[in-house]
Amino acid sequence: MNFSVHNTPLDTPVPGTGSTAGTAPILELRDIRIEYKGHEVVHGVSLTVQRGEVIALIGPSGAGKSSLLRSINFLEQPSAGQILVNGQQVQGQAGRRGAIARNKALATHRRDVGMVFQQFNLFPHLTALENVVLAQVHSLGRNKDEAVARARQELAHVGLTGHEDKYPAKCSGGQQQRIAIARALAMDPQLMLFDEPTSSLDPELGVEVLNTMKRLASEGMTMLVVTHEMHFAEDVADRVVFMADGAVVEEGPAEQVMLHPASERAKTFLSAVRGR
Amino acid sequence: MIESVLAMVPEFIPGLGISLLVTIASLVLGLPLGILLALGSLFAARPLQYTCIGLIELGRGIPGLIMLYLVYFGLPQMGVVMDALPASIIALGLMTGAYTAEIFVAGFRAVPQGQWEACGTLALSYWKSLRLVILPQAIKIVVPPLIGWTIMLFQATSLAYAISVPELMSRAYNYASVTFEYALAFTLAGLMYLAVTLLGLWLFRRVGGRRRSLSAAKVAVPAGA
Repeated sequence: MNFSVHNTPLDTPVPGTGSTAGTAPILELRDIRIEYKGHEVVHGVSLTVQRGEVIALIGPSGAGKSSLLRSINFLEQPSAGQILVNGQQVQGQAGRRGAIARNKALATHRRDVGMVFQQFNLFPHLTALENVVLAQVHSLGRNKDEAVARARQELAHVGLTGHEDKYPAKCSGGQQQRIAIARALAMDPQLMLFDEPTSSLDPELGVEVLNTMKRLASEGMTMLVVTHEMHFAEDVADRVVFMADGAVVEEGPAEQVMLHPASERAKTFLSAVRGR
Repeated sequence: MIESVLAMVPEFIPGLGISLLVTIASLVLGLPLGILLALGSLFAARPLQYTCIGLIELGRGIPGLIMLYLVYFGLPQMGVVMDALPASIIALGLMTGAYTAEIFVAGFRAVPQGQWEACGTLALSYWKSLRLVILPQAIKIVVPPLIGWTIMLFQATSLAYAISVPELMSRAYNYASVTFEYALAFTLAGLMYLAVTLLGLWLFRRVGGRRRSLSAAKVAVPAGA
């Protein structure tokens, strides 16, 4: 079965983009398939993301949302399909169960794509500042002073001035996730991926993170967010993609999908999560 | 009895010194070997990986005494002759390599996959990820079991008595065989091993204020995923 909906590229230029708008989307997924041990969990999904767009990926657990998101920077190796960034196909090869880039093209691609994880994945042996500095120096090759200055700036950006020298263990979950966001932002990504960024936080701390993400969205960051936060999807996302059973069931402007879903599957899901 | 003890102590102290020397030298030789074997058995390409795993199992599977005899009596048949002291250090060093390799493997494995993924998405290279992120966390995890091994090793140095290294056990045996005060000599030697072990553990706890930050650091990586 293949329910994939191909999103036709926008004909009209996207507001806020430069003169090259409309030439190539920042990210294009073509017929992505993902397998686990011979069992296909994503059945050929295509998706186009324009610069500055905020897309919420919603749907029930096991729908393949996280797998799809992780395949964008090859933490999951797609078994078929293409990933294009600015119209250029990315050839990704990663080792150690998908973690470390095996080829230069993938390393370059990953520097352009920031990733925020559900479990934060901060480096516990480093302070907040050092967490944000590390990859600037050792991946981008920035000099130390520049990297430190930038790290302070990004920590301030996510509202963590004064917490630079704290270790992650001394920070709340919401602070830890914001450090993780600062760490990703310091790499100057063109696109940010969020994999259920608030799912391991209690609601009060989740709000801090969601507000930070809202701010990023309003600043024009291109974002792809796997989330169970329906308010975020409704209020912040430009477009909502609803997935179930490894395929895109429905996608469209946030208001349309969230308030007037066309498919039965989306209607059932939304009324169930709203009913809570 | 007091006189006997007072007579023994100065005889035994140099033996204790040699026991400590063998322990430390075996660690100096064995720990780098352990790290190399662990890295090889975890991350190397197939043939090397299997070689490392084989060496670890071999080192852990052969009794310490046989290892000592192999190095001291076996190697001379192949033209490698050495004194008892270096032979004991090499034999116990090899054992240390094999046993600590298992500890290091467990330490590397205990670092969550999410740490590798964070490194990967920040486009850090393999070696930078290992050196800057994985290794520092693995080291913290392995400190307590390494202390445990060090205590085992210190006590295992008494095996070197069998190839007449003049360590604490040898001194006790030699002294007793002349004076026939076996019970007293071995009790005193045993107490000296115990005292050094307890002193070592106490020092470790004093210096090991880091252990608390280790358990705190673990909290930073939520379970699950």
